[in-house]
Amino acid sequence: MQLTYLEAIRQGIWEEMDRDPSVFCLGEDIGIYGGAFKVTDGFIDRFGPERVIDTPIAESAIVGAAFGASLTGMRPVAEFQFMDFIGCAFNQISNMVAKTHYLWGAPAPLVLRGPSGGYVHGGPFHSQNPEMWFVHNPGLKVICPATPYDAKGLIKAAIRDNNPCIFFEHKYLYRRIKGEVPAEDYVVPIGKANIVREGRDLSIITYAAMVHTALEAAEVLKNDGIDLEILDLRTVSPLDREAIAQTVKKTNKVIILHEHSRTGGLAGEIAAIINEEAFDDLDGPIVRIAGLDSAIPFSPPQEEHYLPKVSDVVREARRLKAY
Amino acid sequence: MAIKKTKSTAKHSSNGNRRRNGTSQPKSGNSSRTYSIPDFRLEHPDLSVRQTIEKDKDGAEHVRYEVTGNLNAPVPPIRDSTYLDKKQCVEIYRYMLLNRKMEVALENLYKQGKVVGGVYFGLGQEACSCASAYALDKDDWFAPMIRNQGSLLVRGFRASDTMMQYMAKANSPTHGRDGTSHFGDIEKRNMVSPISMLGDLIPVLSGVALGARLQGRNIAVMTYIGDGGQSTGVTYEGINFAAVQNLGLVLFVESNEWAYSTPSEMQYVCKDLAERAIGYGIPGVIVDGTDACQVYDAARDAVERAHRGEGPTLIEAKMMRMKGHAIHDAAAYVPKPMFEFWKKRDPIARFENYLVKEKKWLTAKENSELIADVERVIEAEREIAVNSPMPTPESAEGGVFCENGCHEIKPKYGMPRVKKGTGSFKQTEAAAHLK
Repeated sequence: MQLTYLEAIRQGIWEEMDRDPSVFCLGEDIGIYGGAFKVTDGFIDRFGPERVIDTPIAESAIVGAAFGASLTGMRPVAEFQFMDFIGCAFNQISNMVAKTHYLWGAPAPLVLRGPSGGYVHGGPFHSQNPEMWFVHNPGLKVICPATPYDAKGLIKAAIRDNNPCIFFEHKYLYRRIKGEVPAEDYVVPIGKANIVREGRDLSIITYAAMVHTALEAAEVLKNDGIDLEILDLRTVSPLDREAIAQTVKKTNKVIILHEHSRTGGLAGEIAAIINEEAFDDLDGPIVRIAGLDSAIPFSPPQEEHYLPKVSDVVREARRLKAY
Repeated sequence: MAIKKTKSTAKHSSNGNRRRNGTSQPKSGNSSRTYSIPDFRLEHPDLSVRQTIEKDKDGAEHVRYEVTGNLNAPVPPIRDSTYLDKKQCVEIYRYMLLNRKMEVALENLYKQGKVVGGVYFGLGQEACSCASAYALDKDDWFAPMIRNQGSLLVRGFRASDTMMQYMAKANSPTHGRDGTSHFGDIEKRNMVSPISMLGDLIPVLSGVALGARLQGRNIAVMTYIGDGGQSTGVTYEGINFAAVQNLGLVLFVESNEWAYSTPSEMQYVCKDLAERAIGYGIPGVIVDGTDACQVYDAARDAVERAHRGEGPTLIEAKMMRMKGHAIHDAAAYVPKPMFEFWKKRDPIARFENYLVKEKKWLTAKENSELIADVERVIEAEREIAVNSPMPTPESAEGGVFCENGCHEIKPKYGMPRVKKGTGSFKQTEAAAHLK
């Protein structure tokens, strides 16, 4: 069945709520309205207001309540209207939720999910990619799917996982891409990357919407005789170190591509992993393509300049190929 | 320079002209109120703290706190409990003694260099910690704050658990990974571990009640916040969430006058923190936090409300932190007469007097035997704690995630019985925020 990225997530949560009575949803405007992006549209009619809870605008309370409920063996799925607002709950996530299992041995099976990412002219508070705030927090799993198949399989895996999972849904992809999603139950394992395009000349390591940017660039570069390999990380914490090393060992040249700001971004961490796992296999510098070191601006020409583009990937790939 | 600037206002008060505790009403006072806050106290201390400038012998100016009010007011009696019988009162009294003597032992362990980091005390607050936790039923949950070490004892943890936490021992509840009362138990004793950041436990405990309700149980969830900690935004979020969802939160606001070195006058300007309950639309009450009977009765009323599914309660317990923030802090900033005033209101001495002299529920001999027994228990617990090994360096590793079957997750009070509507899964094409 062909589903949009959004429908795939929606179906994944729906099926888990159908399957497991301990799963419930909470968040702002998720009930009768169905959520700002309609991910939970129709849920309240099916599952009732007890399990589809509209909350006050209070992100620390949403996370705190989800965490508390998880301690009683529930599996809450909390929505952030925009992932930008997760900053309001940062202390609760970083100091309460993430440290729980390590410090006092209590599992916290909860999912915090919502839309992130740019390319929709949402401005500085509706376009951010705040995943790195949580990658630097041991105890959290951070998931950023790129396709409808992965989005459904990973949201189901996150709900079934015994650990706190933060699930970033790329809002540019919500209704722009469709993909084949099987009717039967499946999960995609957390922490496993996926080669979405095999190639021999150069590897792009990326995730979420940038996977599609890389795929477009690969089509352009094909005409230059440059054969790109694209590794979709799918989970950004924990990272699939083995898959990262494998692709570098195969192509010997690597570009790391992400939307969020360059400094302190995921590319730095991946570059360090490559140094540790595959330094001798490199035939050129590790190249980073990332957002600018500023807030993400509102006006379309500015936003376009801020964010990585197909032309950036094409340019950098040609430069790196020449090594 | 900054001191000079504040000089003119410092004479009046630290934060405007607030009057507290009933000496005189503010302009917008009670006459316009359409509500009231039940107040179970048998006295209403009128002390207030303000900044003032003192000159030393060299003429240099120093900003100090001074206390004003009736510092010679007579000590109030203990209010008879509506619910507690003789046996229960004696049991709470015993927990209060255990609490205090455990903290004395911790102070000694610190002086012997056996404690890693500092020691936090609940001196003067034992009635509030012990009698509040005593009001919970077995299936209820709680989360202490740093000074509620007595609550842990009431809920069945051993003194050696807390002592080993302070000494960072391998056998401590967190196996050395955290100290103080920062541990929890979701299996037996239904305790959420506190974190150092204040207020975050309030929505968490509300979530515990939400989880239980989804499983068909109305439970009480008790936690604490100080007059300092309640300044945090998450306190508001948590209480409001419990109010909107009608969850059985029992929140003790422990007004103990000092938040580290800052007096309550510089934390808030309403008369009593219990008044905040009005803004949340929930019941609020005031009790004397040094009177175990008052604390218990208010807590029990709130717990029973929670069990009936009637929602949260805010209980403000008025008392005084009788030591510094932690062991390193001599609390030199606290005006001495304030300590003297509250020392006369010591919760244990007054409860002892009530049980032995007033009620005659304990003979002098029984009382001294009980005290001796508590001392024996604490000494034995101290031995256990001291003899526990330190953790190995390598035990710092692992356990970040719940994996490889280390925990089975299942609803604690039974699988939720779900009602499913007739809605079926239909694809949506609705208008959405940001196409």
